[in-house]
Amino acid sequence: MDIFLGRRTRFPDGSSAVPIDQIEGSPIREEFYTRLAEMSPAQIKAFWSKVIFTGRGQPPITVATAAEAKKLLSTNPNAISYVDQTLVDSSLRVVLAP
Amino acid sequence: MNNCSARIIVIVLSAISVYATGAYSADQDADTQILSFSGFGTLGEVHSSQDKADFTASIFQPNGAGYTHSWSSDVDSLIGGQLSANFAPKLSAVVQVIAEQNYDGSYTPHVEWANIRYQFTPDFSIRLGRAELPTFLFSDTRKVGYTYPWIRPPVEVYSLLPITASDGVHLSARFHLGDVTDTLQGSYVQSDTQQPNNNGVAIARDSFNLSNTAEYESLTFRVSYQHARLTISALDAFLDSFKTFGPQGVAIADKYNSDNKPVVTEVAGVSYDPGRWFVTSEWGHAYFDSFLGARTAWYVSGGYRAWKFTPYVTYSEGSASSNSDRGLTLTGLSPPLRGLATGLNAGLNSLLESIPTQKTVSLGVRWDFLKNIDLKLQADHTRLGADSSGTLINLQPGFLPGGTVNLFSATIDLVF
Repeated sequence: MDIFLGRRTRFPDGSSAVPIDQIEGSPIREEFYTRLAEMSPAQIKAFWSKVIFTGRGQPPITVATAAEAKKLLSTNPNAISYVDQTLVDSSLRVVLAP
Repeated sequence: MNNCSARIIVIVLSAISVYATGAYSADQDADTQILSFSGFGTLGEVHSSQDKADFTASIFQPNGAGYTHSWSSDVDSLIGGQLSANFAPKLSAVVQVIAEQNYDGSYTPHVEWANIRYQFTPDFSIRLGRAELPTFLFSDTRKVGYTYPWIRPPVEVYSLLPITASDGVHLSARFHLGDVTDTLQGSYVQSDTQQPNNNGVAIARDSFNLSNTAEYESLTFRVSYQHARLTISALDAFLDSFKTFGPQGVAIADKYNSDNKPVVTEVAGVSYDPGRWFVTSEWGHAYFDSFLGARTAWYVSGGYRAWKFTPYVTYSEGSASSNSDRGLTLTGLSPPLRGLATGLNAGLNSLLESIPTQKTVSLGVRWDFLKNIDLKLQADHTRLGADSSGTLINLQPGFLPGGTVNLFSATIDLVF
């Protein structure tokens, strides 16, 4: 979660992390933040507004569809994202399935 | 498995090992935009029950709700835009421009922040130029209403240090201590802030600032310390007239003038926000070696998030350590001089009474009715300290210190 909220920029092994968010308003994004951070879409928006308007950073790259997320994940070994369980295949490595 | 109606989220990495040395360089993010624009704004209306003085959100505003306007849109309304530029992976710049009620009543936009940042490592950076001082928990974005639950951060505490932007060198270092993220920020800055009502410029020099923010899960804890030298010349003519009364008068003038005098501010704040609810409290002490005196203020606020509504309640109070002075000794003065001295003493004491002493209970609700827009309603009940005019300004004949003030505020905040 710290990676998605910009608090950490590296994986525990030291390699840099590139989080990929699903588009705002998508049910998967809402569920991801609600379940893992207990934050509503408005709270996430307020959180990133705080970061942006202090010039401390920008929110993660956003993709419109799960297919796009998978494409980015397959081309960038440092990318991390979240998808619906039904979309998991051999091209993805699951690190957490709460 | 028949309960497939429940979505299961999985966090995934690509199957390629993170140790793979492909053509992709880890430090080079091809998707980072060079330029990005963000904006924010607040449209607000405030009504005050006290029509012989003005309520303002900052001492740098010339007028507000109460005397000047029964309903004022000048207190909270503003619009801002921010351009961020990433020139290179480690080099970026930010310019933020805000249009709000200025010291002269105009809405001419001004450059709130403009700085260049060099990021030595992801956790260590230097910024040169104009930026915020991370004094209070919500200092960093006190002009972005969307980022906090209230209409405005409690004025008792946030008026201790009303300057929002300072020019100089800003350093930031972040540490990870187990599950604790600790951010240490230091700066050496100065600022010139125009004051309303022909009161000249508030000049802060040699300002050293240290701020430490520790974050652990839902808990945020910040302590900060500032030391600066402050010059406010507006009262020099008045204080100089004491000097005609000999050593006692000179001592009074030297005690209360603000000619390059030290200012020390200490703040501690804690916020616990596990998601469904929050509680936030901040305490601050400001010592001015001048007519501004020593002030202590604190607040505690809590709220509960139910669907798109966040009702909250806040209690806030500010006090001054000393707000009266015996002034010049009248015995032994000739009648005309005695009259003048009596007038000066009264003037001095009315000045010291203007150090805010007040207690406020606020009730409000935030409604996140669109994904980037909220609506807030807030009622404040303020009891002014005995003989104090609190944070009110533009006192009119007939205004009585002490007493109570009721405020009603409504704002719409947006970010884009």
